[in-house]
Amino acid sequence: MPETRMLYRRVDEPGLASIETYRRRGGYRSLTRTVKEIEPEELLTTLQDSGLRGRGGAGFSMGKKASFLPRGDTDKFLCCNADESEPGAFKDRELMQKNPHQLIEGVAIAAIAAGAGWAFIFIRGEYAEVADILEGAVAEAYGAGFLGADILGSGQRVELVVHRGAGAYICGEETALLDSLEGKRGNPRLKPPFPAIQGLYGGPTLINNVETLSNVPHIVANGADWFKGFGTEQSPGTKVVSVSGCVQRPGNYEIELGIPSRELIYGLAGGPPEGREVKAWFPGGSSAPVLTAAELDLPYSFEALADAGSMLGSGSIIVADDQVSIPALALRTARFYHHESCGKCTPCREGTNWTVKMLERVLSREATPMDLDIIASVQDNIIGHCLCVLGDSMAMPVSSMVKKFRPEFEEYIRRVASDSPGLGSDGAAGLHALTGTSSLAPASGPHA
Amino acid sequence: MPDPPRITLLVDGVEVEAPHGAMLVDAAKHGDVEIPVFCYEPKLGHPVGACRMCVVEIEGIPKLQTACSTPVRDGMVVYTQTERVKEAQSAVVEFLLVNHPLDCPVCDKGGECPLQDVAMGWGPGRSRSVDPKRHFQKPIPLSPLIKIDRERCILCYRCVRFSQEVAEDEQLQLLERGSSTFVGTFDNRPYIAPFHGNIIELCPVGALTSDAYRFRARPWDIEDAGTVCTLCPSQCNIKLTVRDERIERVLARDNVDVDDGWLCDKGRFGYQMAESGQRITEPLIRAGGELRPAGWAEALEAAAAGLREAGERTAAIVGGSSSNEDGYLAQRIVRKALGSPHVESRPSGGPGVESRRTGGRGPAGFLRQGLVELSAPRLAASVSDLDRAESILVLGTDPLHSMPILDLRIRKAVRLRGARLAVATDRPSVLDGGAEETARYAPGFVGGFVSALAAELGAAGYERARGELGADAERIAGALKPGSTVIVWAGPDARGLVGCARALRLEEDGAGLIEVPEGANGRGLREVGCLPVAGPGLSDVEQGLDASGIRDALEAGSLEAALLVNADPIRDFAGGPAWGEALGKAKLVLAVSMFEDASTRQADVVFPAESYAEKEGTVTHPDGRLQRLRPGTPHPGGVRPMWEVLAELGALLGEETGVESAPDALAAIASEVPFYAGISHEEIGGTGIRWQERAAARYWPRVDDVGARDEVPGREVEPAGRTAPEPGDTGGRAEDVDGVIRVGTYRDLWAAEVTDRSPALRFLAPRQALELAPRDAARLGLGSGHEVEVRSNGTSVRARVSIHERVKPGSGFLIEGLGDRAASLRGELVEISKAGEPE
Repeated sequence: MPETRMLYRRVDEPGLASIETYRRRGGYRSLTRTVKEIEPEELLTTLQDSGLRGRGGAGFSMGKKASFLPRGDTDKFLCCNADESEPGAFKDRELMQKNPHQLIEGVAIAAIAAGAGWAFIFIRGEYAEVADILEGAVAEAYGAGFLGADILGSGQRVELVVHRGAGAYICGEETALLDSLEGKRGNPRLKPPFPAIQGLYGGPTLINNVETLSNVPHIVANGADWFKGFGTEQSPGTKVVSVSGCVQRPGNYEIELGIPSRELIYGLAGGPPEGREVKAWFPGGSSAPVLTAAELDLPYSFEALADAGSMLGSGSIIVADDQVSIPALALRTARFYHHESCGKCTPCREGTNWTVKMLERVLSREATPMDLDIIASVQDNIIGHCLCVLGDSMAMPVSSMVKKFRPEFEEYIRRVASDSPGLGSDGAAGLHALTGTSSLAPASGPHA
Repeated sequence: MPDPPRITLLVDGVEVEAPHGAMLVDAAKHGDVEIPVFCYEPKLGHPVGACRMCVVEIEGIPKLQTACSTPVRDGMVVYTQTERVKEAQSAVVEFLLVNHPLDCPVCDKGGECPLQDVAMGWGPGRSRSVDPKRHFQKPIPLSPLIKIDRERCILCYRCVRFSQEVAEDEQLQLLERGSSTFVGTFDNRPYIAPFHGNIIELCPVGALTSDAYRFRARPWDIEDAGTVCTLCPSQCNIKLTVRDERIERVLARDNVDVDDGWLCDKGRFGYQMAESGQRITEPLIRAGGELRPAGWAEALEAAAAGLREAGERTAAIVGGSSSNEDGYLAQRIVRKALGSPHVESRPSGGPGVESRRTGGRGPAGFLRQGLVELSAPRLAASVSDLDRAESILVLGTDPLHSMPILDLRIRKAVRLRGARLAVATDRPSVLDGGAEETARYAPGFVGGFVSALAAELGAAGYERARGELGADAERIAGALKPGSTVIVWAGPDARGLVGCARALRLEEDGAGLIEVPEGANGRGLREVGCLPVAGPGLSDVEQGLDASGIRDALEAGSLEAALLVNADPIRDFAGGPAWGEALGKAKLVLAVSMFEDASTRQADVVFPAESYAEKEGTVTHPDGRLQRLRPGTPHPGGVRPMWEVLAELGALLGEETGVESAPDALAAIASEVPFYAGISHEEIGGTGIRWQERAAARYWPRVDDVGARDEVPGREVEPAGRTAPEPGDTGGRAEDVDGVIRVGTYRDLWAAEVTDRSPALRFLAPRQALELAPRDAARLGLGSGHEVEVRSNGTSVRARVSIHERVKPGSGFLIEGLGDRAASLRGELVEISKAGEPE
């Protein structure tokens, strides 16, 4: 099954990142129409009707979220979450790097729909090169009158600032992002109040992911019904999926939501290297509960993956093949979230710390099967009990690994306990194979 | 403010009535259900929901919710005892103990530790964690007064929130993140801030401990004794921790109408003064030039003999820490037994006090009238009104120094409610940063500023000022909301305030005036008759001399005896050392004092004074709240209750008061102060009562009964100076005279006897500093740290130069209360000469 390119259309055309090429290819027509012909209310209706769901992880209806912002004259804000830090996710990077104006146009339209005069793109600090490109594009957009106090002479105002993060995963959590943007320590806020009511600087704030906003110009150009023609009823549209890990062609693939997951992993990404089998896969970034080879035929959609006890999340598939040690994978995953836990709430701060210590004992010959019960129970004690979802992001995959691959953990403990040579290196090899392609996967993949 | 409507919710199957919008944790208490918390502390502002201890099940919400951050609504159905809730709460305890050392047997918090209590009540009882815990160097000083043990810390955020969101000193931070997070300061600097001791009490574990209290007592060794701190006008409610009849600690005794549950470090650590080994504990009589111990009978007789001889040539100075009873009895002895009208309690005056320029001998009616108008019940704001007012004006004082707890209260109003704050002072204020408007007038010219402000507010009879003064007044006026403003003010020259008060409609609810007196019980002493112009209840009396008048008269020999009740005028009063000379000439100085000080060195008879921890009696808060002092420790040595001593002294002098107990003394006051009528210890109770809210408030004197009104409202009494400024341009005066600095003075929070007498606080004792604007320092060739001599009219003070951006050019500021003559330079134009290079 081929890709269905909407956001990635002409993505590899040289110069697409420049405003001339983007405009030659029809860019900024949606924004022009928006400021000249469409009332903000109509715009909101279109976005809601399209059924576009947030592409950052939670999958909440974008139009609905925009409609939560109070109407009227208060200062409102739009924040684009470009703090793409989830291991396995690298779709936003390519979207911004190769087609920044698509995002800027989406930001401007969404800001007008929400009545926000100020917009911010909060970009992951490590994406320095992409931020440079984005800043250049923003300057071009200002120069062409697509941003500023009076967009195309319409009287509509959208000011856009690119803000670079300082290197914390937690700042991708929307309220931590707001605190960080305000110059504070990037810790999540208690919700409610939700950002739509009280967000940046206390004002109503719409927060959306890069990919979500990049969809907006297309929806405005072609209409909600056209958009709903793609994907499934509950997951309309296309999705850019980052596929990494043990596959032959890692990279970003734009697909219609609802195609079989096997198509993505085997058809597009080429499956595991010759002679190996898929053992486990994260369907939605490293925070999603892992699925097994038996679940490869699940449709790749929000609803099907949720029904299977996992989630589509940001749409990042990480594949672990039969050479990967699941206990090592669990430790690698736990360490990431332990390292990134902000420390504000107890279950996440202490739970990630404790889980890492226990998994380290699993890998260093000091664990007993009872520890596996404790590990599982600790994950249960984290899930649903934290201030934000970071704790769950460790607990859900670790819990799923212990539950679905318990024999492997037990065998690991037994084999290590009998001091059999070789397993330690096995684990290390698995780790290396995985980490080599998870968070630092090539940005371009097959499109390069 | 109307109470919120009450709603009914169901907690664990039981109907509970609670105010609408209360947080579930608090609402559940109405049904006797305790939900455990760590991070929740309403005093710190909005809940943060960080510790997750208080999760409960709410019908209709799939996830467990934090009860600390969930406002209740009618019909809500809550479960706090289900398996799911118990497991989640137990899990949080287990998580918290993963890294907690469980060193309770050697921890100061043991026995009064919320973590212990919650772990016992809601925890799993055993830990499944066998992994190593995190380690830190411990304990290490977080400040000179607080030790931090980071291993015990459960990262509840309370201390950091206090620093950032209550005191707003922003020194405490969380460093690192995740399970490596720890509490600290930038660059490991000591946390030095005037309210920082509160974090000891906020800490729900033994991570922050008081250096002074470490290893001094266990909770089962101690008793709590509730009383009121009389180290400053804040009169915060406190609990003394007493072990074996010694005070070992002071804790807050939350009273939302007084202190909001906070204490300043002076109040928290100043108890050491009461426990000082240097206290005078026996009466002393001067013989052969030396003070020697004497029995009470002998000392009382000696005092009575000297006073009898001086008769109407006696004056009494009553210090601010005196109770209403002390003050009442002292003035009664002087007025009734000795026939002298000279009673004073104000170190540098107050509203309606004439300046030295006119010799303090204006018509008594005029002076009393100002008092009666500005302290009238209808214009009085309560401390809690600061929580309601839409705008706040801080005028002529910096609450951090004069009434510290108001500093926190004002910050709270601005931070949590967005109240508009305006600050008009001569010296830059620490509240400037949160103020919408600030104005600086030249030192001592508050009167001119207030008149200009009254004019801008549209008060009749005031003329708008020109130039900078007018512009400043206009800006300040623009920030004030008529009918919803509280003015926190201090100063001797604020008669224009009556105009401001009328124009701003301060008689309305949630608006009004709070005057910050100089002494802790300044208001009470004034109301029980310790004024040269008014007797008990501001009654009409023969007019006596004010403080400087008394000093001059002693010096001149027209007064012969001085009764100093808890007062050290040499340290605390304008003139400072000049009082030494005046007292030296007196035939009899009777001093009631806790310590030997400059004034007792001039005394012929010394009675040992009680500390506030031993006192029984009442004080009156600046907002009119009568509060009870209750003895927490026995009197050391031969110290006796002052009401008893004064009653005996009165009897010896022929004034039978009939006072045989502290309640008797209060009853005597209530019979003479009409607006206190009928008040008793029982009615005052543990949290006090504002007399304005009692029926007897209607007996407040009527302005029309108090003598002639000043017919020229715009004419203000100016402080002494070489030139009398013209009305209308006083604010710009300091700048008009190039090359001249006009000095203002302020009483630094730490320029107090308690700082010197409390070992824990001694490091905070200030050194005399001359604060200058950068422009003036440059013109005078001075840099920060230079030693200078500040001179005027033969008075000189040595100081170190301190340069501040926000000091108004032409102004300079010195600290009062350091035992030098700085207070005598107030309002003077001075010469400054270099006396040394920076150290």
